[in-house]
Amino acid sequence: MVWAALSGETADIAARDIARYAATSAVLALLVGTITAILGSIAAWLVVMHRFPGRDLFAWALALPLAAPAFALAYAYGDLFDVAGDLRMWMRPALGFDLPFEMRTLSGAAFVLSCAFYPYVYLAMRAAFLNQSVTALEAARTLGCTQRRAFVRAAMPLARPALAAGVALAVMETLADYGAVQFLAVQTLTTGVVRAWSVYASTASAAQLALPLLGAAVLLMWIERAARRGRAYESAGSKWRPLPVTPLPAAKAALACLFCFSLLFFGLLLPCGWLLWSSLAVSPDWIRLADAAGHSVSLALAGAVVTVALATALALGAARLPLAARLVSLGYATPGAVMAIGLLAPAAIIWRMTPGASGFAVGIGLLVYAYAARLMAAALEPVDAGLSKVTVRMAWASRTLGRGPAATAWKVQLPVARGTLLTAGLVVFIDVLKELPATLILRPFNFDTLAVIASNYALDERLPQAGWPSLLIVFLALPAVVWLSRKIAMSRPGTA
Amino acid sequence: MTVALPPSVDIRGVTRAYPGTLALDSVSLALRSGRITCLLGPSGCGKSSLLRVVAGLEPVDSGEIEGGGRRLSAPGFTVPPEGRNIGLVFQDLALFPHLTVAQNVAFGLDRLDRPARRARVSELLARFKLAHRADAWPHTLSGGEQQRVAIARALAREPAALLLDEPFSGLDGDLKAEVRQVVLSGLRAARAAILIVTHDPEEAMLVADDLALMSAGRLLQSGSPRDCYLNPSSLAAARLLGPANLVTARVEAGIAHSPFGAVTADMPDGPATMMIRPEGLRLAAQGAAVAVADVHFGGAFHEVTVEAEGVTAILRHTGPHVPATGPAHLVMDPDRVRLFPH
Repeated sequence: MVWAALSGETADIAARDIARYAATSAVLALLVGTITAILGSIAAWLVVMHRFPGRDLFAWALALPLAAPAFALAYAYGDLFDVAGDLRMWMRPALGFDLPFEMRTLSGAAFVLSCAFYPYVYLAMRAAFLNQSVTALEAARTLGCTQRRAFVRAAMPLARPALAAGVALAVMETLADYGAVQFLAVQTLTTGVVRAWSVYASTASAAQLALPLLGAAVLLMWIERAARRGRAYESAGSKWRPLPVTPLPAAKAALACLFCFSLLFFGLLLPCGWLLWSSLAVSPDWIRLADAAGHSVSLALAGAVVTVALATALALGAARLPLAARLVSLGYATPGAVMAIGLLAPAAIIWRMTPGASGFAVGIGLLVYAYAARLMAAALEPVDAGLSKVTVRMAWASRTLGRGPAATAWKVQLPVARGTLLTAGLVVFIDVLKELPATLILRPFNFDTLAVIASNYALDERLPQAGWPSLLIVFLALPAVVWLSRKIAMSRPGTA
Repeated sequence: MTVALPPSVDIRGVTRAYPGTLALDSVSLALRSGRITCLLGPSGCGKSSLLRVVAGLEPVDSGEIEGGGRRLSAPGFTVPPEGRNIGLVFQDLALFPHLTVAQNVAFGLDRLDRPARRARVSELLARFKLAHRADAWPHTLSGGEQQRVAIARALAREPAALLLDEPFSGLDGDLKAEVRQVVLSGLRAARAAILIVTHDPEEAMLVADDLALMSAGRLLQSGSPRDCYLNPSSLAAARLLGPANLVTARVEAGIAHSPFGAVTADMPDGPATMMIRPEGLRLAAQGAAVAVADVHFGGAFHEVTVEAEGVTAILRHTGPHVPATGPAHLVMDPDRVRLFPH
């Protein structure tokens, strides 16, 4: 991809445009990063450390917006708050004022993406708070901190690595997003990449646009790694006691409940409800939809299986290849569009070298490869965590009991990590279901997934029709998200 | 007289170096079947390294290890752990959390058919008093039970040798004695060569048939616990096995003189270091004149600090009455005294 960018003799995109796109991407990433950091941390702190009505439900339900692709939220909000939409047309004469915001702007996009991506921060922070040692909090309290001061002075600093990791995820997803910003008419580097490829058919200029993204990816990965290096933040060996949960008085409880509910409402209920409402007006093309759903699910399953298998192999060999693991996380930070553009050149070579092979098989293969490359790091993390439950000594014990390295992996390491392998698979499954730009670029001709159909309808301004495939994605991803979220909710060590 | 069988595992001049440290410095040790060898040394002295080298988890840099009549380790050659028939019980036990007690014990028995495997497992569980916990998960067991599961698991394959890394260190006082009892009888029934690593001298002497003392990667001395205790080959070896008073003595004409008494000395005239075990000094009506400087109640004994000619020593006084501070007399038991040349 770098090669394509530098060798492009036809630089049909002005440097000015690249700078403009880059500035938009940067501002958007900054806004989304800040908003998700605040919303996600507060939600996690409320849910972990306080008791209020609905808390047990919110604990896992707050992650549900992960099931909704960002572009679905963009369609819903873009339509709902459209300047010429029903809501505003009714409001202006009836209430005598207009809403003071506009969705198809940078701030509108920041709102939509924050709604879609806050769960990354929420999940990371909740895990951090759940796993924190009570002693640090108690020490803070005995040193004169109120509960809230203890949060600010002890819990937050201790959770800083988790915050950095969660925000890095949200920012990576923001930079990688194509469907939502494209619909909201915000020009970012990623929309530029896809447009350069699809409209100007210029891989070179697409690659030029992708270079700053790749740079940002390296930077983000570095930040995330640096955050992860703070192992000393974990208080190993301390006793696990139940966290001190504070019951909130009525007024505060209502506020907490309202806060959590708004996140869920704006992240999932309102946009999906609105999409459903407007989609009910049209009857969907069921055959096409079922076809695309089949494609989406098979791709997601294939992606999950391949990615988890590779991640497991990598994790088992990680001790010998530390560099490989680092390179792999670069894949996660790399936006799907960039990944796809980067794969186009090798794809052409494969095509030429294997004239007999069906273009379909090569296309699907490339697509699954792109998913695996992009989501490898996301899968590697839970797989690694799962395998690290097998201590070196357990593996050695198996060796001294007569099993070779392969048998040890099969009999000890994989069974112990079984649960986390499933987790990793589900993470990949959900992400592939929602993936748009890479699929758009790499899919074989006439091979539609739900996301591709939704995007095509939306491009044609047929929003009610776009609602159906979007909702179907939510419907398919929701059980996986519920399972994941509930599993994390029960993850406080020592209470299992 | 027992006939000296060839050792089950013969460690000869094994050296193992890590960057910056020499973990094992030409260590030689023979493990014989049916005997329990205790390897005693302070933490970081290379005990665990020796276990890992013998188990085949690490290569040797020089020297060799033989077992069951074949070569197991030599420079550039290591039979992998699964091929050595040597069991290893880790300090953290490393039980498999996804398997029940019975499945853990059966883990190494995949070559037996099902009935034989079941028979072997129940025999081992019975021997280690675990039959009632066969279907329990490891994390639901007590520390002592986990300990026994780990040992039963390692013994299931009837290894030629079994290595145990600090097997009793995680257990509390009362439990320790009890677990040790069960474990030792189970181990003796196995007829394997046993190597137990520990840093607790009392435990080592109680448990061992043969004792090996290690410090800074070197084997200082090996022999029976009694021999090692009473005739330590060096000051370092003497200190490993328990408290010792070190007093400067003066050798004259085959007698070593110290403020606390004299013993015969088989060394030339001149200064020497006299090592006196605390139990080698006894307060008495007559003997060397000393001053009792300090008395501390220690449960079964009183720890008494005595002073003579500006030299202090510590002894353990047992008996009904509490020694008073002030002038006293003591006698020295020559069996508990050793001399080392300066």
